[in-house]
Amino acid sequence: MTTTVVPGTVVPGAVIPGRPARRRHSLGMLAHQIRYEQLSFWRNPQSAIFTFVFPVVFIVIMGALFGGVGKSSYFGGLSALQYYVPTIAALSVLGSCYGQLAVALAARRQNGILKRVRATPLPAWAYFGGLLAHCVLVSVVDIALIVGVGRLYGVPFPSHWLAIAATLVLGAASFCALGVAVASVISNAEAAPAVAQLVLFPLLFVSGTYMPINSELLNRISGWLPVRPFNEALTGPFAAHTGADWRHLAVLAAWGGVGAVVAVRRFRWDPRPE
Amino acid sequence: MHTEPEQTAAMPAVLAVAGLRKSYGSVQAVRDISFTVQRGEIIALLGPNGAGKTTTLEILEGFRARDGGTAEVLGRDPGDRSSARELRERTGLVLQDIAVEPYLTVRETISRDAGYYPAPRSVPEVIGLVGLAGLERRKVRTLSGGQKRRLDLALGLIGDPELLFLDEPTTGFDPAARRDAWQLVRELRTAGTTILLTTHAMDEAQALADRVVLLSGGVVVADGPPASLGGRDAERARITFTLPDGYAITDLPLPAEAANGVVLVETGRPTEALHQLTDWALRRGTVLAGLTVDRPSLEDVYLQLTGDGALAGAPERTT
Repeated sequence: MTTTVVPGTVVPGAVIPGRPARRRHSLGMLAHQIRYEQLSFWRNPQSAIFTFVFPVVFIVIMGALFGGVGKSSYFGGLSALQYYVPTIAALSVLGSCYGQLAVALAARRQNGILKRVRATPLPAWAYFGGLLAHCVLVSVVDIALIVGVGRLYGVPFPSHWLAIAATLVLGAASFCALGVAVASVISNAEAAPAVAQLVLFPLLFVSGTYMPINSELLNRISGWLPVRPFNEALTGPFAAHTGADWRHLAVLAAWGGVGAVVAVRRFRWDPRPE
Repeated sequence: MHTEPEQTAAMPAVLAVAGLRKSYGSVQAVRDISFTVQRGEIIALLGPNGAGKTTTLEILEGFRARDGGTAEVLGRDPGDRSSARELRERTGLVLQDIAVEPYLTVRETISRDAGYYPAPRSVPEVIGLVGLAGLERRKVRTLSGGQKRRLDLALGLIGDPELLFLDEPTTGFDPAARRDAWQLVRELRTAGTTILLTTHAMDEAQALADRVVLLSGGVVVADGPPASLGGRDAERARITFTLPDGYAITDLPLPAEAANGVVLVETGRPTEALHQLTDWALRRGTVLAGLTVDRPSLEDVYLQLTGDGALAGAPERTT
């Protein structure tokens, strides 16, 4: 069925059809938003590819450096690569959910795209739902790539996939919330990468992402910050073959909650302050 | 139907503001603005930069909270978050700045927004309306500024709005694109859409608007059809001509003033005055060279009402 439209003329009957029309179902709206968010992402192949290249390069380097290091007490009784596969997996989730999201939102706000979104009836939850789904999807691909490369270095596949899935979704949601929170307090897009990294980089170091930390005090402190619990919660099901690590996940979820509260209270759509 | 006029009379305004106020820090952007818009009208908020046009529009769009006064859009309070989604579904917004995702195509961008509305127009129809036919598959980032503006306009129309807000809609258009956009706005009105637009272009207000609300320094300085804005239709007509050789200004049958040999007669009765003057000239076998009759133009009224002599304008706010 095709409708012929004469350019430059308003079709009279088309203007006031049978109002009121029904709203789309919430899930349909969310699926619609996810679809277009994905379309925008994949349409920029350079940025899409680099999102996935970074964690792969990182795990390949770690494999080249430590591939031969077997189980040792330095790595908590694990082989070096058994240690690095989950921490780098965690790093990739942090990168896409926290870092990239904060930067992307600050940029979208600055160039007016967020305000344009706000000018449509799309509910905020659907917009952020689309972003969260995107972050989870990117994280899943990242983790699959990292686990695959790890297998090449002799790290066995993890067995507790359900625990990993639960940890991943909760971690992604929490770090997305923190990413939105940071985007809310950043005032301009130019500052966004620097601010996001400034917060993240020391946190990664003290949380044992780059090397195991054997300081009781540091571990106790970082255990209450968001990154270390996520590393631990992934290391369990990845390497130690334990189930979901609810204690660490609870700490992570609490940080996610803090992020969500800040995000809800402080998030701005308009590039100009009120 | 005999009831039609009564229905019209009883029909509530599509949009009404009264005593609107809004400050940014110490800057009073909107001091006291009141006006109403009836269904099917095209209203232009006209005024210089910093007059309060965009602030007023953004309060009505729900982007900014007002400090005082009342505002009603389609029977709802635009400052009330609980009616925000319904208002968005029934209104179309074209913002001052162009902001579109660079990597989607024209059709994808419009289709995405179509999915946000309960009863959208068809995507090909809207593409045709804004004159983007043939560019459906182009990536947004490859469009020219004017084409992006048309895409922006398409996003304002896709939800099939009852009320359309246009914030300086033709900025950046070449003259032909501007004519097309004006034509489109008129057609939308004919089809029943109510339109509130801001502009600082007098020709745009004159060409499009049924009524002009002239703002200056955050207050309404005039409100009326372009032809009679500021009472310019009732203003005294001005008759000018060159004083014929050999005559003094005191020889004329009417009180007049002269500057550089050009005579100016201001009169509330131009027909009579012209008759007297031409009769006087014909009897003496002379002519009134360069004879013209005119009234203050919209531009004269605009400058007179918004200029230095008018209310002290609010400091300009850079956007």
